[in-house]
Amino acid sequence: MTQKVSVLIIEDEKSIRDFMVKTLTSHEYKVSSAATGKEGLAMMTSALPDVVLLDLGLPDIDGIDVIKKTREWSSLPIIVISARTQEKEKVTALDAGADDYITKPFGTFELLARIRTAIRHNNKIANDQVNAIRPYSAGDLVVDFDKRLVLLKGEEIHLTRVEYKIVSMLAQNSGKVITYSTLIEQVWGPYADDNNRILRVNMANIRRKIEENPGEPKYIFTELGIGYRMLEDENLA
Amino acid sequence: MIEKIKRFIKEVRIVPDDLEGIQKTHQQDSLVFFVVLVITTTASFFFSEMLENPDLNIAMFYLLGNFIVARYTAGYAFGFVFAFISMIFVNFFFTYPYNTLTFSLEGYALSFFAMFTISMVTSFMTTSMKRQAKILAEQEKELMEAQKEKMRANLLRAVSHDIRTPLTGIIGNSESYLEMEKELADSEKRAIVQNIENDANWLLNMVENLLTVTRIDNETARVAKTLEDMGDVVSSAVVRFKKRFPDAELKVKIPDEPIFLMMDPMLIEQVIINILQNAYFHAKSLKPIELKVVDESDSVVVAIKDYGIGIERSRLETIFDGNGSYKEERESDGYKGMGIGLSICKTIVTAHGGKLTADNHGSGSVFNFSLPKETEE
Repeated sequence: MTQKVSVLIIEDEKSIRDFMVKTLTSHEYKVSSAATGKEGLAMMTSALPDVVLLDLGLPDIDGIDVIKKTREWSSLPIIVISARTQEKEKVTALDAGADDYITKPFGTFELLARIRTAIRHNNKIANDQVNAIRPYSAGDLVVDFDKRLVLLKGEEIHLTRVEYKIVSMLAQNSGKVITYSTLIEQVWGPYADDNNRILRVNMANIRRKIEENPGEPKYIFTELGIGYRMLEDENLA
Repeated sequence: MIEKIKRFIKEVRIVPDDLEGIQKTHQQDSLVFFVVLVITTTASFFFSEMLENPDLNIAMFYLLGNFIVARYTAGYAFGFVFAFISMIFVNFFFTYPYNTLTFSLEGYALSFFAMFTISMVTSFMTTSMKRQAKILAEQEKELMEAQKEKMRANLLRAVSHDIRTPLTGIIGNSESYLEMEKELADSEKRAIVQNIENDANWLLNMVENLLTVTRIDNETARVAKTLEDMGDVVSSAVVRFKKRFPDAELKVKIPDEPIFLMMDPMLIEQVIINILQNAYFHAKSLKPIELKVVDESDSVVVAIKDYGIGIERSRLETIFDGNGSYKEERESDGYKGMGIGLSICKTIVTAHGGKLTADNHGSGSVFNFSLPKETEE
């Protein structure tokens, strides 16, 4: 029997916690849960979960502080649960070290996908040094990191150096949100202008090249006020 | 009652409502007081040298000065003090015997009384004038508040009505499930849960709309804007809309080049989703809904066009008023009333300095909204 993946849910709202516990248990996860931040932090050190689902609006400690405290000793994936209109909070949480977020209310499908992505990326960080990076592939799009090639329906797409950097960064983190500031830092360096206009211009160009209709994107999605998320790699989903 | 007392205290200036402001007026008042006193006294000395019998003129000067001080200072104090000093000065400098205070002069009490009366009457008139102006301004403010309050009450009424209906559905459905779980066939159970899901989704949509409104500043009706690419916002709205309504047919066209605008992207996304949703539920479009972004010289226009039943002429004028179409629509396709959704669209677009219009185009309806291009900060 394979080892079950363990998930820790830190959420004060009982009905939501119950729903998540039921869903995840029925999908073969080993689930533990906490209703407060303090309890959650204690359980993290004792239960050592594979992934943490963290509500930002906890009664005792600010969720951001939970992330910071955890990051002092661990890189275990943290998925933040938050409301739709709190995009500033989400960015703060992501900058503080959260891996991804999920917006309330969410469905079972979305919840499972986020957890899978988070765990996969965490494993990948550990495996990258050993395995050669496999190409990204989803739908008709393939990104070959080895040859630095982007193929759409088998045909090579000509991207500029910067455009390729953006696409490969998103593809390596497929399924996961990447904030504007992270992308800018990775592509233009830490001293780049914080103005993300240049990033948008590049993104518009990329979409024109790889999307059939940039108005209805299939591969790269905008998370308004936060960043971009690329369709999850099919080989890994 | 407490309110009344507070207001009374404010009016009679026992407690300064704004200390700095009061200090400022006091400074100004003192300045008026001294300037008038100096001018009057100088002029009196001048005339007492020039004229043979200056008593009357000098008294008139001080009267005039007293009037001016009482008129242009707040409250009674400055006028009274001026009247008092005037009497002393007139007595001391300008009446025989000079440079001495005498209280035995004939009619002294009478002129003293006259000076005080003038000072008091003027101060009283000035104060009541100011008070009336203040009351008038307050009444105007109250009227505006009342109007705002009325709008708020209207929205609240519409909202609670719109919320109560799906809630009734959720409660009723879940109760009947819990009570008759054993008797119900699987298909019936499924239908009940399906109903609950539909109602809950409708509520979610409603709450999201209401939440967006809280992002608009209540006082200034302004929004926090950032520089965004309109194409990005449109595509995000389209993705979210398609996720929620996978069977909706859409044709989207955005310009090749990004169009940068100052806006609150979440709000504009909500506008697009609301209009799309309205078209999806109400228009009964025969062809896919068309969404087009047009880059114009001083604005960007988003046009959402359907090929459905159009909008009745009588409703065109009031479609953004927020008088939910909840009831009328209920029989045909459930309570997908978009009254509040569209009125929220109007509020959002207006807060951005843009325009939102609805019209018929012959074989359906079209919603246009434009956002002005601003210079970057």
